[in-house]
Formats: sequence, C-alpha cells, structure tokens
Amino acid sequence: MEGNIEGLSSAIALVGYGLAAIGPGIGIGIVAGNAITAMARQPEMQGTIRTTMFLGIAFTEALALIGFVLFFIA
Amino acid sequence: MTQVILAAEVCDTANEVICAPANVNDLFVHEVWFTIGGLEVTRFTFLCFLAAAIVVALLFFGLKDRRIVPTKFGVMVEGLVSFVRDGIARDVIGPEGGKYVPYLLSVFLFVLVGNLFEVTPFINFPITARMAIPLFLALVTYFIFMIVGFGRNRFQYLIATAWPKHVPIGLRWLVGLIELVSVFFLRPFTLAVRLFANMVAGHLMLTLLLGSGVIFIAAIGDLGARALIGIPWLALGIFIFGFEIVVSVLQAYIFTLLSAVYIESSIHFEH
Repeated sequence: MEGNIEGLSSAIALVGYGLAAIGPGIGIGIVAGNAITAMARQPEMQGTIRTTMFLGIAFTEALALIGFVLFFIA
Repeated sequence: MTQVILAAEVCDTANEVICAPANVNDLFVHEVWFTIGGLEVTRFTFLCFLAAAIVVALLFFGLKDRRIVPTKFGVMVEGLVSFVRDGIARDVIGPEGGKYVPYLLSVFLFVLVGNLFEVTPFINFPITARMAIPLFLALVTYFIFMIVGFGRNRFQYLIATAWPKHVPIGLRWLVGLIELVSVFFLRPFTLAVRLFANMVAGHLMLTLLLGSGVIFIAAIGDLGARALIGIPWLALGIFIFGFEIVVSVLQAYIFTLLSAVYIESSIHFEH
C-alpha cells in the first residue's frame, strides 16, 4: 500500500512537471521568434538583441526548471 | 557513469532487462576517499580544486608573457577575457563595469570549466550539478549587489524597490510586493537553480542514455538480439553529448550575464 502511494505521488509529480513545462515552452517560443524578427529587421543590432533574448529565455526557463526540481523533491 | 556500470554488475542481465541504480542520488554522491579533520574528501572535492587550478593555470600561462604578437593560446585567453569585459561587464553595467570584471571573469571561467567537466572524458561529472557550488556563487553575487545597492543608494534602494514611482498608484503596492520578494529573496535562488537544474538534467540524460547503451551492447551474450536496443540509446546519447557542450557554455554565459544584470539593476535602481 505504501509503495502504491509513493508511486502515485511520483506519477503526480511527473504530470506536474509536464504542466510546468507548457508555459515556459510557449514563452521561449515567443521570445526567440520575436528576437529573430528583430534581428531580421535590424541586423546591425544583432549583438544587443541576442543578449536580451538570452536574458528573456533565462527568466522564462526558470519556471520549467523549478518544476523539474520539484519533480525530484516529490 | 561508473555507478550505472557498477549497478549493472550486480543485476542479472539474463533475467532482468531493466537495470537501474537504486536511487537517483547514487549518480551525484561519491564515496568518501579520506577525512581531514572532520571534512570528508570525495571525488567531488577533488574536482572542485581541479577546476579552480585549471582556471588559475589558464589565466597565468595565457597572460604570462605579454608580447606584441601573442601566441595562439594567449589569443584564446585574451579572447575570453575581452569577451567577459566588453561583451558582459561594459555592455550590461556600462562604463563603470570595469570594476566588476575580476569577479565576473572568475565566475565565468569557474562555471565554464565546472560545466565542461560534464562532457570531459574520464571526469564526466559537472561540479555545478551539486547545489553547493551554484548556491555559493549565487550568494556571492547576491551579497555583491546588495552591498552595491545599499552602499550607493542607502535605503532609497529598498524604498524604491518596494514603492515604484513609475507604476500607477492602484497597482503600486502589488508590483512593489512582487518586486520586493523577487529582488531580495528569489533572485539568488533562481540564479542557482537555473544552473543546477540544467546541469542535473544534462548529467542524468547523458548517464542514462550512454550508460544504458553501453550496458545493453556489452550484455549481447546474455540478451542476444534484444541487446540491439542499445544502439539507438547510444546514438541518442552521442547526439545529446554534443548538445550538452552547447548547454554548458550557454549556462556559464547566462550565469555571468545575470550576475552583471543584477549588479546593474542595483546601481541604476530607478528603472
């Protein structure tokens, strides 16, 4: 019985990680897509845009990573 | 890597196809080599000192004899230094960024070497996949930007963060609360977790894919044709291996970049 509950909680944690990955996935797509548009429009600003893109991705990604860590804690 | 192969030695491949380490922690905890005054020295401790020694040696031998025409190695090290100085410190912090170059450069090189241990043959363990290292580095960054913020702007720093003037009055308390929690509590945590989780994920994927690939192929005598499943695992592992090199460099860059951004945000806290 205890094994079942443990298995259930890790299964729920797995679903939770999947849910936590949805938002950041969409967010990183938007960030990268808009960065590509901006680079295509103004290639001379490429360096700044790339730095800002990595920043945006890093902030967005943090949510997915917290979900990932929670999966191991649970 | 060694742990998985060790675990496979005790598991009987003739009867059981799935061989796993007992616990995921087995991949990250090393056995104690010896003890010095209550401090346990493990492979991980050794790797930390090795990473620090590599960084010191890189900078020492790269910049030892300054010549008009530097050697190829010297050009590489100068490239790394100018990448952090011009690309990160001066670009993000501005003209006064030069003051923070020593810290940012040491963090960048240490995290880079630590991350690249993940894909170095015979080491295969990223030291940043133990929470102690990223958390300590993130706390150092946290203290630097706290000291800079409070040292330059006194309590204006705290007040301006909790009560942002450019936000409409109705939402100001909510935005202020979120900003306060995010700046003073969440920043070091997310900075550390971002690096840590990326490296843990990479190490797990590499160990499981390459390890299971090698185990299945090595057990071809016991398993027969079923051992062929090891080939796609190994191929996927080698693909992920290349991907992890990119991730290692990118995460070192992002860690340094975010440290610089946090320092900048406490110098110019108004926006």
